Amino acid sequence: MVKIVGILLLLVSLGFGNIYEKNCVNCHKIFGPDLKKLFFAYLLKYSSEKRVKKALYEYLKNPNPKKSIMPKEYLKLKGVKKRSKLSDKELKKAINIYWEKYRVIGRIK
Amino acid sequence: MFSQIRPKLTEYAKDVIYRLKEMHQSLGEDLHYPRYSGFKSAIYDADHVKIFSLLENNSVKLDKVIYKTGKKIHFIKEPDAYYLGTKYVVIEVEDNEEWLKNTIKNIFIFGFLFLIFMGFIGYFLTKLFLKPMKESFMLLDNFIKDTTHELNTPISAILANIETIDKHKIDEKLQKKINRIDIAARTISNIYQDLTYLILHKKISSIIENVNLKELLLQRVSYFKILAQSKKIDFVLNINEDIFIEADKKKMAKLIDNILSNAIKYNRVGGKIYITLKDRYLSIKDTGIGIPKEKIKDMFKRYKRFNQSEGGFGIGLNIVYMIAKEFSIDIEIKSKEKEGTEVILRW
Repeated sequence: MVKIVGILLLLVSLGFGNIYEKNCVNCHKIFGPDLKKLFFAYLLKYSSEKRVKKALYEYLKNPNPKKSIMPKEYLKLKGVKKRSKLSDKELKKAINIYWEKYRVIGRIK
Repeated sequence: MFSQIRPKLTEYAKDVIYRLKEMHQSLGEDLHYPRYSGFKSAIYDADHVKIFSLLENNSVKLDKVIYKTGKKIHFIKEPDAYYLGTKYVVIEVEDNEEWLKNTIKNIFIFGFLFLIFMGFIGYFLTKLFLKPMKESFMLLDNFIKDTTHELNTPISAILANIETIDKHKIDEKLQKKINRIDIAARTISNIYQDLTYLILHKKISSIIENVNLKELLLQRVSYFKILAQSKKIDFVLNINEDIFIEADKKKMAKLIDNILSNAIKYNRVGGKIYITLKDRYLSIKDTGIGIPKEKIKDMFKRYKRFNQSEGGFGIGLNIVYMIAKEFSIDIEIKSKEKEGTEVILRW
């Protein structure tokens, strides 16, 4: 029953929002992991905007356990996500939106 | 240079990193950058892009660890993980040059201690090395003192006995022999007195009195007459009035003796010695060999001799100089080679 509601929500939300929300947020909301936590994990590992975006792009284009930022236990349990079907341009656009949403540069007071 | 301030800067950086970690763990909910009164800081990512900065001077050198720009010291610390993407934490402090003051202070303290230490070492080593030399000097000094002391008795005995001989009652040949003995004894007596003066002059305190120079000069001329006669030297005296000087009589006699002794010693056979005494003026002039003009300035140096043909140690004029200095008497030497030397005293 829960699964059916989730899929329905996904289908509804696919029709709204930008490319990031449509292709990333909706899925992560249901299957996790939390995008914000994920962003700070990437920041912790790759530091700069350029490096974070590059790592994200490479992983989404070709997901594999070695490139994944998630713990091994998590990967064993849930496995690696499927390859993104977005075009390079769309993927980069989605990553840019993702970066802008959680970036810390310019927000520190 | 930065060794003293570095631990403090490391502590500052650790504080900032700790705060960054907290901010990171809040997942950006709390993005209040830490501020401190003692220093300023900034954070940069792995691509040297500024994340946040409170620095006055933002042109930082992230490839260095610690450096100074103007009056600011910058210290770069890398956290163990990239909290908020931070690869470099930059700490900026005002350089009050405390380290420089401390360094200078240390240089002075340790330099001074080192000098004292070296001084002690040097003192003991010098003392150790000079010990044999000092012992030799002491031995020589004691020998001279003892010898000088022991000379007094025989010389006095010779001179006293010659005085008692009535020269009119003996034949001419013996008279000549006695005269030679007298001259030799007086010469030895002069040398003895010079040596005594040099050895003991610091221990002899002067007895200042009003010395009648006319009387003293006539007495000394009389004493040196026999010596002068041996070289057929005549005294020409221009001593008319009584002239007085505030000085020690024995020392003044020593001064005159040495000038007269030189005037005889370096005179030619059959020469003359002119003595002129006026108010605050005494001149003793000989007709001897003279000395070159350029050597006059060295005449008063001890052991300096310009003519090796005559005996002596070169101490006579040094004694003259010391006595004259004690009683504020100016000495002027006029000399011309092969014509003679004039010693003028003014007071």
